[in-house]
Parts: sequence; structure tokens; C-alpha cells
Amino acid sequence: MDHFERRLAGLLRQDPEPEPFEPRHREALHAGVRARRRARAARRAAGCVLAGAGLGLVLVLWPHGPTDDRPAAPPRPATSPAPTPTPTTTPAPGVSVSEPPSRSPDFTPSAPSVTPTDTDDSTPPEDTWSTSFPPTATK
Amino acid sequence: MEQARAGEYDAFVAARWSVLFHLARLLTGGDRHRAEDLLQESLVKLWFVWPKVADEAPEAYVRKVLARSAARSARRRWWGERPVEELPETAAAGDLSATVAERSRLEAALARLTPRQRAAVVLRYYQDLPDRQVAEALGCPVGTARSHAARGVARLRRLLADVIEPVG
Repeated sequence: MDHFERRLAGLLRQDPEPEPFEPRHREALHAGVRARRRARAARRAAGCVLAGAGLGLVLVLWPHGPTDDRPAAPPRPATSPAPTPTPTTTPAPGVSVSEPPSRSPDFTPSAPSVTPTDTDDSTPPEDTWSTSFPPTATK
Repeated sequence: MEQARAGEYDAFVAARWSVLFHLARLLTGGDRHRAEDLLQESLVKLWFVWPKVADEAPEAYVRKVLARSAARSARRRWWGERPVEELPETAAAGDLSATVAERSRLEAALARLTPRQRAAVVLRYYQDLPDRQVAEALGCPVGTARSHAARGVARLRRLLADVIEPVG
């Protein structure tokens, strides 16, 4: 702190004429507190009104048509028009393969196909899933 | 409860009014009416936080509110600061009113600083606060507060050259 700064500090701290706290100051202060309290209350009330209005608006605009009230349908299994062979093992002798390949209950083929029960042929169908062997490693 | 709070608050305000008013006056560059308004606003704010700060440092709280409000006040329309070309007359040496005149010159010089420079100078040299607390009161980084104070002092050095003579 140089000479100027010290002198400046001294000037700033020079004893000013005392300023008493007068009744008019007290009244002005209390009036200010009351005004601020009223402003705060008004702001809070306005906030509540706005929040209520916003909530009401959301409820009014909330989509609630009859179609939308139904529960969602369960997911349906995917179907394909071609029968999918089931990866079963070779049927035991004497057991006829009479069941059609598994399909979904609502699957309706457009054209009748040959079913295994139409013939007496009891040989298992050519099924690569059931007859294939695992590849052997070649040396 | 409310009565006790009001009593404590009134006692604090009555005891510290003069000192706080002097600070407000320096922060406003000697504008008496503006200083009174500024102090009223700060004390109204103090009322609402009184239960929290009463036992700690109510005066520090008021000082911070005063400094921040004064530093921001340039943006307000009703701020009536008018820069002038010539500073008021210098008092003659030995004059009985020399102190008053010196004070007027100081306030006029302070009024020519920017609000932030003025607040930094007053907090630093009148309140004797370290740079960190000046920065905290103004709500700015320490380097910025230091820069405001240094620029303010440099300007005052030019403005008050004939009041505060250099040594030697």
C-alpha cells in the first residue's frame, strides 16, 4: 500500500456526521417489509394458479378415446406359409408320423397339401434336420 | 417469536444504521437519497433471512447485498449519476470546512468510477477486506475484483492528485 492508498483509506474512513436511525426510517423499513411480503404472497398465489391451470390443461388434453382404452393385444407368433420342419429325432419304428408339422392355430393354408396321413408309406419324410449328421472333420 | 425477532432486528438496525449508511453513501458516490434507498432495500432483504443470519454475521450479509446492488445499479434507469467535467472546488488549507470539502471531493471522484470499480475500491480500502472477500461480495473471480480495484485506484489517483499530494 503506497502513500496515496493509505491516504485514500484515511479519507474514506473519515468520521462522517452521525446518521441517527429516525422513526421515519423505521416506518419506511416496516412498510418495505410489508410490501415485499405481499409481493411474495402474490407471487406464490400466481404460481399455484398457474400450476393448477397447467395441470387442468394436461388432464383435458390427455388422450382418452374409446379405442385407446382397450388393453394391448398379446404379441402374436410369427407365421410363415411354408411348413417348417421340426428338428425331431428319427421316429422309432412302428410309430407313424401322422401329425402335420407344427403350425399356429390360426394358420389356414390356401391350397390343400399332401399330408403324411394320406399314404401308408411309413418311411419318415426326407428331413435333413433329422437325418443329417454332424460334419466330420477332415484331416 | 415474531415479536422477539422484530425486536432483535430493530436493535441491530438502530445500532448499525449510521455505519451502514456511510458505506451505502460511499458505494453510491455520495448520493444521499440513493444511499438511503439502497440501504432500505438491503435491510428489507435482511429481515427475510434474519432467523438464518442473526447469530452469524448480519452485517456481512447487508454489506454483500449493498455492494452487489450498488455494482449492478448502473443498469437501472433511475440511477441518477451524471458525470461532470469539473470536480467541485478544492478547500483552502486551514479552512474549517476543509474536511467537509475534502469529503465532497472524494465523493465526487468516487461518482466518476464505474459502479463495480467504486464497489471494489470501497470494500478494499474502506472496509479493509482482502481481495478474496471483495470478490465474494461482488460475486466475481478474485482476479476481476483485483482488477476493478486497481483501475479504480488508478483513476482516483488522477482525479484526486491535488487533494492527495504525492510524497517527496
